[in-house]
Amino acid sequence: MGLLSIIRKIKRKEKEMRILMVGLDNSGKTTIVLKINGEDTSVISPTLGFNIKTMTYDKYTLNIWDVGGQKTIRSYWRNYFEQTDGLVWVVDSSDLRRLDDCKFELDNLLKEERLSGASLLVFANKQDIQGALSPNEIAKVLNLDAMDKTRHWRIVGCSAYTGEGLLEGFDWLVQDIASRIYVLD
Amino acid sequence: MNDHTDENSTDPTTQRKHAAMIDRLSNLHQARLSTKTNSKDPTFESTQSFLTLFTNSKQSIESSLTQIQQTPNPDPNSDLEKISNSISDLEKLVAENSYFLPPYEVRSSLKTISDLKQTLDSVTSKVKPRKKFSFKNKPAKKPESESKPESESKPEPESQSNYKITDSPGFRGKENAILTKEFTGLEIREFVLSDLTNCEVKLKGCFRTLFINRVQNCKIYVGPVSGSILIEEVEGCLFVLASHQIRIHDAKGCDFYLQCRSRPIIERSFGVRFGPYRLYYDGIETDLKESNLYDDTGNWANVDDFQWLRAVQSPNWSILPENERIDTIKI
Repeated sequence: MGLLSIIRKIKRKEKEMRILMVGLDNSGKTTIVLKINGEDTSVISPTLGFNIKTMTYDKYTLNIWDVGGQKTIRSYWRNYFEQTDGLVWVVDSSDLRRLDDCKFELDNLLKEERLSGASLLVFANKQDIQGALSPNEIAKVLNLDAMDKTRHWRIVGCSAYTGEGLLEGFDWLVQDIASRIYVLD
Repeated sequence: MNDHTDENSTDPTTQRKHAAMIDRLSNLHQARLSTKTNSKDPTFESTQSFLTLFTNSKQSIESSLTQIQQTPNPDPNSDLEKISNSISDLEKLVAENSYFLPPYEVRSSLKTISDLKQTLDSVTSKVKPRKKFSFKNKPAKKPESESKPESESKPEPESQSNYKITDSPGFRGKENAILTKEFTGLEIREFVLSDLTNCEVKLKGCFRTLFINRVQNCKIYVGPVSGSILIEEVEGCLFVLASHQIRIHDAKGCDFYLQCRSRPIIERSFGVRFGPYRLYYDGIETDLKESNLYDDTGNWANVDDFQWLRAVQSPNWSILPENERIDTIKI
């Protein structure tokens, strides 16, 4: 009976999931979280530090950690890795110039051992903008197919502005985590 | 064996464990010692010691710069990177100490740093062909003859880069020009301003998102941007911008006149000043109202500096004194 199984038991009772939202600055992480929680998205300052949102989704309680993406604070991301069930990587699909940066940071993140068990949802955000790359193109640029075969992952196009695609993404993420953690259901 | 540590000396296993433990403890001690010296506060509040440190680093950077030029066939990448790192360290040093330095010293050290950067740039272009991805029409002069055939015959091994060829609309690689664009109707568009020097840019009408990078000595007037604006590597510019979110990275000596729904942020920037939005063109009021940017939030003065997380005012930015602000610009 290790600590991990005790934690799992507690979690199972409360049906809790811990979800970490990361991505470059200006990708729309905070907007996604607020939008999915039905809050006002018209005044959002760039995140200095992090926000935590707890919300009920289906029969689960999601603890969403939305961590600022500015370059100076990216090094603090690792402080949030512990016990992450789901990882949401948000991409600004209209920011073509920084896709290299985006790939670099994601690759680094996926090397992290503490995140190795987490399901990965990639949001190709800002699909409502005309010049945005499609989710397929983003997947190719980020080379997602080359990822470790054991990783559960999916890419979903979305717009935090209109709300399109957000539920589809979270549905998949929550189901995927549930099927891994709450095996007894 | 169930009793006390003194008896351990006879048992080889515990002895080994004991030795390992001593080893661990001393390692830990060493680690603590070294972090102690490292974590010394870099601000030492003495102009003299700052100047000494500054001059020393400056000289070492200069000498490595000349060295790299003289060495006939070096492997330049790591050296250049090292130099660029030490320059940014120097920059950080100035920023961290600028709150007590006399204004003259701050200005002259910033000047020194920008000179160093320029030298580094020219040295870089001399000793190595440009490798990183960049938009094609950047004004390239000297290295063109030697680097062109290489870069065209085999593009960088980053195979995915073919997706970047579908460039966003924008103005790129212009000098001494007046660039105008009017957005009409419901264009949900991104727009790019990159590699501009000595230009005047006028963007009228609403659009969705704006990326600005590598712009020098330009005047940039922009109507309401309903999404966000991302600015990187700008120097000596005047910006008049309205947007929901504004992020400013690597800006030097620029004035920003903003209307912003949220708090503008700066990162790795210094010598930037802020004032309220001052722009007029026929129909701007309707455009501002449509983009939800008509009401003055006063946020232009609430700048967050991501490299200055202290209660006191960041030395990297300031509010433009009223007598130095521009009048409303009509475009």
